[in-house]
Amino acid sequence: MEILTTTGLCKTYGIGETKVEALKDVTFSVSKGEFVSIVGPSGSGKSTLLNMLGALDFPTSGNVFIDGRDIFTMNEEELSVFRRRNIGFIFQAYNLVPELNVEENITLPLLLDYKKPDQQYIDEIVDILGLADRKHHLPNQLSGGQQQRVAIGRALSARPAIILADEPTGNLDSKNSKDVINLLKLSVDRYNQTLIMITHNHNYASFADRVLNVEDGIVTELGGAVR
Amino acid sequence: MKDYLALAPQYLAAHKKKTRLTILSVVISVALITGVFSMLDALLQFEKIQVIHDYGNYHIAVKDATDEEMQAIGGRIDVKNTGRWKTLGEANINGMTCALGALDENFTENLNIEVIQGKYPTGQNEIMLEKWAAESIQLNLKVGDTVNIAVADGTRREYTVTGIYNDLGNMKAQGIPGVFLSMDDAELMPAQQNVYLIEFKGEADMIKARQQIQTSLNIPEDRIGRNDRLLAVIGQSDYKAAVGIYQIGGILFFIVLLAGVVMIYNTFNISVMERVRHFGLLRCIGASPAQIKKIVKREGLTITLKAIPLGVLLGMIMTFVCCALLKFYNTSLFGDIQLFYISTIGIIAGIVVGFMTVFIASLLPAKKAAQVSPVNAVTGSNDIKVSKNKKRGLLTKMFPVEIALGMNNAIMKKKTLFWMSCSIAISIIMFMGFNVFVDFMHAGLKTNKPYTPDITLTSKQGISEELSARAAGIDGVKKVYGRMFGYVDATFDAARLSDAYKESMGGIEATEGGLFTPSASSWLISYEENQLNWAKDKLMAGELSEDKMNTQNGIIAVAANASNGRNANLQLGDKVYVRTPSGTKEFTVMGILNSVPFQDNKQNLTTFITTEKIFTELTGKTLYDALDIQLSSKNQEQTVAAIKGMMDSSINFLDSRQKNAEIDQTFLTMAIFIYGFVAVIALISILNIISTMNTSVASKTKYLGVMRAVGMSGKQLNKMVLIEAITYGLTGCLAGCILGVILQKQLIENLLTSFHIIWKFPVGQIVLILIFTIFVTALSVISPLKRIKAKGISEVIGAL
Ligand SMILES: Nc1ncnc2c1ncn2[C@@H]1O[C@H](COP(=O)(O)OP(=O)(O)OP(=O)(O)O)[C@@H](O)[C@H]1O
Ligand SMILES: [Mg+2]
Repeated sequence: MEILTTTGLCKTYGIGETKVEALKDVTFSVSKGEFVSIVGPSGSGKSTLLNMLGALDFPTSGNVFIDGRDIFTMNEEELSVFRRRNIGFIFQAYNLVPELNVEENITLPLLLDYKKPDQQYIDEIVDILGLADRKHHLPNQLSGGQQQRVAIGRALSARPAIILADEPTGNLDSKNSKDVINLLKLSVDRYNQTLIMITHNHNYASFADRVLNVEDGIVTELGGAVR
Repeated sequence: MKDYLALAPQYLAAHKKKTRLTILSVVISVALITGVFSMLDALLQFEKIQVIHDYGNYHIAVKDATDEEMQAIGGRIDVKNTGRWKTLGEANINGMTCALGALDENFTENLNIEVIQGKYPTGQNEIMLEKWAAESIQLNLKVGDTVNIAVADGTRREYTVTGIYNDLGNMKAQGIPGVFLSMDDAELMPAQQNVYLIEFKGEADMIKARQQIQTSLNIPEDRIGRNDRLLAVIGQSDYKAAVGIYQIGGILFFIVLLAGVVMIYNTFNISVMERVRHFGLLRCIGASPAQIKKIVKREGLTITLKAIPLGVLLGMIMTFVCCALLKFYNTSLFGDIQLFYISTIGIIAGIVVGFMTVFIASLLPAKKAAQVSPVNAVTGSNDIKVSKNKKRGLLTKMFPVEIALGMNNAIMKKKTLFWMSCSIAISIIMFMGFNVFVDFMHAGLKTNKPYTPDITLTSKQGISEELSARAAGIDGVKKVYGRMFGYVDATFDAARLSDAYKESMGGIEATEGGLFTPSASSWLISYEENQLNWAKDKLMAGELSEDKMNTQNGIIAVAANASNGRNANLQLGDKVYVRTPSGTKEFTVMGILNSVPFQDNKQNLTTFITTEKIFTELTGKTLYDALDIQLSSKNQEQTVAAIKGMMDSSINFLDSRQKNAEIDQTFLTMAIFIYGFVAVIALISILNIISTMNTSVASKTKYLGVMRAVGMSGKQLNKMVLIEAITYGLTGCLAGCILGVILQKQLIENLLTSFHIIWKFPVGQIVLILIFTIFVTALSVISPLKRIKAKGISEVIGAL
């Protein structure tokens, strides 16, 4: 079953001299439960693509369907509800809320949905992330790797159908990186989630079911590791 | 980039939006300071002219000065002009009551006496009189005519009219012309008052000069008079009331300076943490603290160079509006003041405060960045403290998340909360403080009331209803209302008499039924519909209905007794028994008035107001004692001529128009500036809230983007930002109102005691402030929020 489909996605930044065609006619689809990694040289349009998939930005043309719904036809209000329930973001720059402690940051998407967090599940995530003794710390009291793990926790807490991760291991050492990738895989497997992850590291790309290559705004399938 | 200092303008250019907001806040603060200080400066210039016009251009007066004293004072180097001024009491000129006086010719200009025709009386048996009187039907005199003047002791002499001078509003309204004799003639008559008026040179230290004069000539204090208002306006008064006002002025202008500083500082503070990070980064790549300081100074310079001229200009425009209004209103009096009044004090104050604050405020993050290690500066934000964790957990449990987050954001950043609140609070304090001037102005200056007549007709024989109707029929007459005055013997419950009155009467025996035998008659005044309506302002209890009074035998009691305090304390429903030729009549008190705008020259027991019908029933009188006329503003001269045309010679025509206009004008001169101050402060405060809220939202752009990415909906976002803004607004309001109330109370009760202003808890002001602050706060976050929401999330967050 296809959870995500894009058709003819184009994104052009700027006009005239500074015009950049960041995405050119991107069409692909992802099935439920798949782990897709996106690779490509710097400036090729990977982040742009991910932004479109999560409706953080609007394409110049083309559509993105998630669970059969055209996300760009939703209004801002519907979109935000849809986003917090269905999509988990992991940013390269963490983007944690500095005023909230670790636990609050992790439960934020649930709180925004006026749901009472399932404490057991949250504790489980916190444990797996190795943040049990950092629950009440503020982001600026954490190391980069810890902050990234909090960001991952936040992406998982609402059990979204899709997790979009932009170089989640960019700031981590190889051991930490491996842990994070394993954790993501674990979660994806356990809750039958779909993971789309940008990475520069071909090692990690090989963990994926499929690898998409982006070059100059054009997306091609590289073929993935054996399932 | 040629050299590291180019970082400064580059940083500013990269953060255009933020820079614009910073500049805006500096402009606002500088405009506030320049505006308020130049307005004060201009106010004093205008007020000086106004006071000289109203009270004359002299500084002190010496009563009954001897020749030696006059010589000694007149010869002083700091004295510009002196003159003798004698009042000789009332006299009778060709059958009309007049006021006699004499003044040295060289001092006429100082007292605004202007000879319009003929010459000033200098020789024997020469006089000069007011224009209106010379033209009146009773006198009808021209230069060269002879008149008969009979003085108080009965002596009668013939005089020649040598001159005619300008009308004096007060004399004209009373119908008593001022007549000047020559000083030589006046010397021979007994003077009622004989003063020697002194005008000092502008640069003189007048307090010291006065003391010197007093000690060297041994003049006691009771022989010295001061032109208090003029001295007060030029800052040379040691009079208690003036000193009180100086002190209030000093305090308020200090608050204005402080407000300017706080507003600028607050804007800078909002972005301090970010700047600390930025400077930390520069330190990491090898910039020395001194270099950073230089960069900051360059930045400050760039901002102030743009902001200060704008702010000064804006402040000057505010002053210009006030000046223009006044000049437009009274060209003859203020013709000499330039339209673009440029106040050096105002401009200097604005520039100095602007420069200083920007430098201090912008250096702070640099200092902070220099204090902490560069790495800490880059990674850590010391503003957020861990200790609050527990409380915050509570917040998210107590409120929906967006509200908790909003409150959290505001409360967590203690310093930002403090400066935001300060910035709002000080605006409120300023506003409430300057409102004291409004109270002062209303208490200290006379104003015309709705019932103030333009023309009053009085007659000993009485004015008939028929004449009143005819006057009302004249084209250009707006309102005509007559009054009858009379005395009746009235009695009521003796318990209502005040203790003081009973005491002064040596005790009063209550007769049967608790009544008493009145020792004096009561004053009875008739009011018709118009006057009953206007009196509602002074109504303390009950109502003022002509119909009810007529049908139910009602009467209105007046609480204040002009001559001797309060004699009786009548209450609603009390019975009043009035003796009439046809027996005693019973009335019920239906309303109680605080006071009436007339004064009785007899000692009465108390004052009652009735309708015309009842007045006639009680006294048998049907003719008015006084008929007041209000004119419409057009073609007044024609209307006045028509009124004069229908009067016979038994009627006195009193023209209050000039006096009313002068009162209006004196009030307006002050009011334009006082309300100007209040308006400028209110406007600046509102702009300040808008600009700080804008800055605050703009500085959270990225944070708001993250929230949206995590799934916060537009509504939640609005609520969160709104709650945060309102938290700032409310804490500011609370602090501002509390401190403002204290300030007002202190100012009024300690410094304005001599004006008898009663401090009241300013409920109205507080409600207004609350509504305005909340409203403006809410409004001012909406547009930056909209702008942020219109942008794509990824664009706002920057690199993902
Ligand atoms: N807001 C923008 N305005 C103009 N051009 C942009 C904008 N955002 C991205 N671009 C351009 O679009 C292209 C794709 O950028 P994108 O961030 O998607 O690259 P990327 O593949 O994520 O690179 P990296 O691996 O370095 O993160 C780049 O050439 C970039 O310069
Ligand atoms: Mg990228």
